[in-house]
Amino acid sequence: MRFFGFHLMPYPYLPESHVAGRDSSWVTLSNATFDPRRGHDLYQRYLRELVYYDEQGFDGVCVNEHHQTAYGLMPSPNVTAALLVPQTRGKIAILGNALPLRDHPMRVAEEIAMLDVISGGRIISGFVRGIGAEYHTFSMDPTASRERFHEAHDLIIKAWTQPGPFEWYGKHYKLRNVNPWPRPFQQPHPPIWSPSQGSVETVDWAARRRYTYVQTYSDIDMVKRAFDGYREAAQRHGYTARPSQLGWSIPVYVADTDEQARREAAVHLGFLFNALMRMPKDVFFPAGYLTLKSATRVLAAKRGLGTSTMDPERLMDRGYAVAGSPATVRQRLADYQRELGFGTFSGIFQFGSLGHEEFLRSVTLFAEQVMPALRPLGDDETSPASATTTPG
Amino acid sequence: MSAAASTSGAGAEEEYEERDVTVRGTRVRLLAAGSGEPLLYLHGSGDLGLWFPALTRLARTHRVYRPDHPGFSGSDDGDGIDSVHDLAFFYLDLLDEIAADEVVVVGSSLGGWIAADLATIEPRRVSRLVLVNAVGVRAEVPTPDMFTHSPVELAELVYHDDDLRSAAMRRAREMEDDPALFERYLRNQISTAHLGWNPYMHDPKLPARLHRITAPTLILWGASDRLVPAGYAQRWAELLPKAEVAVIDDAGHLPLIERPDAALGVLRAFLGQGGSGAKGSTP
Repeated sequence: MRFFGFHLMPYPYLPESHVAGRDSSWVTLSNATFDPRRGHDLYQRYLRELVYYDEQGFDGVCVNEHHQTAYGLMPSPNVTAALLVPQTRGKIAILGNALPLRDHPMRVAEEIAMLDVISGGRIISGFVRGIGAEYHTFSMDPTASRERFHEAHDLIIKAWTQPGPFEWYGKHYKLRNVNPWPRPFQQPHPPIWSPSQGSVETVDWAARRRYTYVQTYSDIDMVKRAFDGYREAAQRHGYTARPSQLGWSIPVYVADTDEQARREAAVHLGFLFNALMRMPKDVFFPAGYLTLKSATRVLAAKRGLGTSTMDPERLMDRGYAVAGSPATVRQRLADYQRELGFGTFSGIFQFGSLGHEEFLRSVTLFAEQVMPALRPLGDDETSPASATTTPG
Repeated sequence: MSAAASTSGAGAEEEYEERDVTVRGTRVRLLAAGSGEPLLYLHGSGDLGLWFPALTRLARTHRVYRPDHPGFSGSDDGDGIDSVHDLAFFYLDLLDEIAADEVVVVGSSLGGWIAADLATIEPRRVSRLVLVNAVGVRAEVPTPDMFTHSPVELAELVYHDDDLRSAAMRRAREMEDDPALFERYLRNQISTAHLGWNPYMHDPKLPARLHRITAPTLILWGASDRLVPAGYAQRWAELLPKAEVAVIDDAGHLPLIERPDAALGVLRAFLGQGGSGAKGSTP
């Protein structure tokens, strides 16, 4: 199993009235709420925390892109990655660049290639569409999101793998000269990861291209459906998926005892799921962001991530997060690995309003008492993912 | 932008004919009634494909055509229709298809935007132009973002009258339990977003083309519209200096539905004026 440490860079200093209220934490939460001095201290601390993953023997760190929100302070994941290159030795997974939100996909091709060359091939390039709210942030037509994603992806891959210059006259991007300098260090290009909450379309897209699929923020049954779906899609596309192609990303909190871990995690999970993720349905899922079929189901649902209150205890019980003593976390992750067959694990150890000391203790306990025992599980050489699929 | 009122009272089943028309490969559902000078009614984004009583009354003097826009309600998706400008060309093709050479065009909300654009392309084809609480141009007026509002919230913004508003909000709430209707609503929203997400519900190029409109024009507005406030009527009036402006009191975004007597009174007076081709009707 490969281990990654994910950081969301949340902004925890929200007025109590906002936390307890119902207003969105995305798009319209005024940036007057952001205090640049506290922000400065946060960035210093959060960057140290990312480097700490690397020091503790994680295979890599994960950063991401979000806009106009207290949920995360990384509008540019490539800036965060650039800061980490000289401070780390392991992989840097950018999960990911939100392709359709960029006016120009070639900027992504250039920036990722630059990071990859400077880091000597340590970059993992995630590609995402950006969440629905971000189509409000940039007034970007959500009905063109899927088309722009696919076209930008195809253009970037071609730019990385075929000698330029060449012309590109697509529906959304029209370029006379595609010839980006530099080219990526890793050949033919950096590994591509595809994070999603389990859209059937995305699972199939990733499986077809053998990209690592990363499941985020989901009920455990959904995680299983998505991973099974990936393995089945891989078979359809003529190969057997390896465990490392299946990634699972969840909040993790380790403390000395189960009682302490669950009690402390509950506070921050509540803050993450009920305050930082909160937004109206029509902001989360703007018209056309989902297919009509998905939209009819998702928007009619009475409950949903970010749009209704989630009970932290239930989140921990249903596999949205794992919290416990080292022994408990070790056992649960081993059980989940056997059930789900993943070989890439990305722990979000910093979430909600978790303090620095708690973070360091949790990561240290995980690195010393959880990670070593789990290393042999989900190894590509010894346990093909298909063999671990639970029958039926 | 909310669901249009249902067909009225007893014997309503014969109020209109329904047929499909295929225009350059795209099938649209076309409702029609009456006889006389052709009148093309272009609906708003929240219209779920229903006929409403004011159209029946217009059909006493006109041949009223009410299509579902491509991508809306009973029509197919419009291949290659990515803007209101594209849609305006589509409707000129539709007029060719139904052999309507010269028409009155009445457009409500999104339909008003299409109507104005269409009239700039083939001005002489439009004998009268009526813009009802129309989007399509930008005014420096605070306006809610329709794309961040739920169906219930939109219904709340659309009506002036308390009872009509409550009824519309109740229908919007019930709609989520009716998968077929909810899917129709969402598809209409998706098509609207594709046309009007950015720039938000307007075309910055349109004002510079509006001078081409030759038809006498009526700007008809529900005074207490909270979705497209009356400040937009003033903006249209600045851009169309010869147009007549009529503001209907105690009506919101859909004056033809909310206060049909008052709105039709103004509309009929306007349509009855002079002969076709009369320039302007400055108050």
